[in-house]
Amino acid sequence: MSAAATRPDRSYLLRKLHSLSGIVPVGAFLAEHFWSNSYALVGVAKYNEKSQELQTIPFRVIVEAAVIWLPILYHGGYGVYIWLKGKSNVSDYPWVGNWLYTLQRYTGLVAFAFIGWHVWTERFLTQGKSTYSDVEHALRNPYYLAFYVIGVLASSFHLGVGIWNFLCKWGLAATVQAQRAAGKLGATVGFVFSLVGILIVVSFRLNWHPFGHFVTLK
Amino acid sequence: MGETKKVILRVKRQAGPKHAPRWEEFALNWRPAMNVIICLRDIAENPVTRDGKKTTPVTYESNCLEEVCGSCAMLINGKARMACSALVDSLPQPIRLEPLSKFPVVRDLAVDRSFMFESLKRVKAWIPIDGTYDLGEGPRMAPETQEQAYPLSRCISCGNCLEVCPQVNENNAFVGAAIISQVRLFNMHPTGAMHARERLEALMGPGGIADCANAQNCVKACPKEIPLTESIAEMNRQAWKQALLGWLFG
Ligand code: SF4
Ligand code: FES
Repeated sequence: MSAAATRPDRSYLLRKLHSLSGIVPVGAFLAEHFWSNSYALVGVAKYNEKSQELQTIPFRVIVEAAVIWLPILYHGGYGVYIWLKGKSNVSDYPWVGNWLYTLQRYTGLVAFAFIGWHVWTERFLTQGKSTYSDVEHALRNPYYLAFYVIGVLASSFHLGVGIWNFLCKWGLAATVQAQRAAGKLGATVGFVFSLVGILIVVSFRLNWHPFGHFVTLK
Repeated sequence: MGETKKVILRVKRQAGPKHAPRWEEFALNWRPAMNVIICLRDIAENPVTRDGKKTTPVTYESNCLEEVCGSCAMLINGKARMACSALVDSLPQPIRLEPLSKFPVVRDLAVDRSFMFESLKRVKAWIPIDGTYDLGEGPRMAPETQEQAYPLSRCISCGNCLEVCPQVNENNAFVGAAIISQVRLFNMHPTGAMHARERLEALMGPGGIADCANAQNCVKACPKEIPLTESIAEMNRQAWKQALLGWLFG
């Protein structure tokens, strides 16, 4: 047999790109986003300083589009296409993996809707100069608050299950034991992100800055 | 003397591929160690419905009666199972029998599983041993590989793993877990490995391995306890590696 080059089908490549884009850059950005927003737990000044630093990076719009907006649009758009091609049967076969399969689709949609609204209100309506008080103001509205909590939980869940899926689907966790470990890793990530996300929301809502005394100490 | 115990069966019947389905109910005399195939045989002996109407015997497939031929897969109380190993005493009644839903119905409970056979051909699920001359003995297989290969070789092409997979449906031509696992089996074989690249390439084609969405139902439904999710993960790794190397080095 000749060493003919392998030509994977285009749908194969798009599907792999969908899986990869959920981890990098989308998942990685989510981690960065939760991290920089947890500066709210330190204090208002520190948060604004951190925000300004991010808002003044060079090539800002290009970086945002390439690393955040386009990957999220692709991941969400192609994800909906994948959803439409599947047919959930969790009522007939209520196994854990099957539940995760179904929930992964709904949480993805909720997260996508939330992110769209979140980017619109906090990135575009503020002309890219969102501050602590903008977010704090938004979270005074009980509906916005509820939407934030739901958005944070849906995104965290989706990332956690996504990590498990990614490790299985790239064969990085191939044996039953490795897949079980991958599941635990995904669950931990989902839980930690949920917790941190909620703490950030609480911080804005109650003006609660538990790590603030380190700032005042010096 | 008390009344004989009855087994109530509801069977989804369909006269042909284009006919509308209908339900028929049967009441059979209970016997010890009865399984679903025995029920269908009893109906064939005396094809009368529960309300006394004469009907035709129910069409179904079966052969080995010991879960090794794969022909008797059907939906039993809504779940994909082998009828020959489905014991009546372990099933809540009335027992509902339906044909597998992911394959075209031929008649009653018999379905056409040629989609699986065509997929097996697409991935070259065989070991080439014929030539225009005597090819001689093939290389030996390490005992460790044999141990891995044996469980995979037990697939009986029943189709249960396709039936329970949310990714296998009329909008999606996903080949399903069994075929991916067979690629692993044949690529593992020292002679079969001569076609390893082509098999992986077929798996990277339309309806191939990338359509798996990791619901992991297949491994739960397989009557032969084949480690299907391991096979899929393993083949996924081999596939993207081959794609990447092919792209980098031609
Ligand atoms: S892998 Fe298991 S469920 Fe699938 S066809 Fe083979 S024996 Fe049946
Ligand atoms: S009759 Fe052969 S598997 Fe059931």
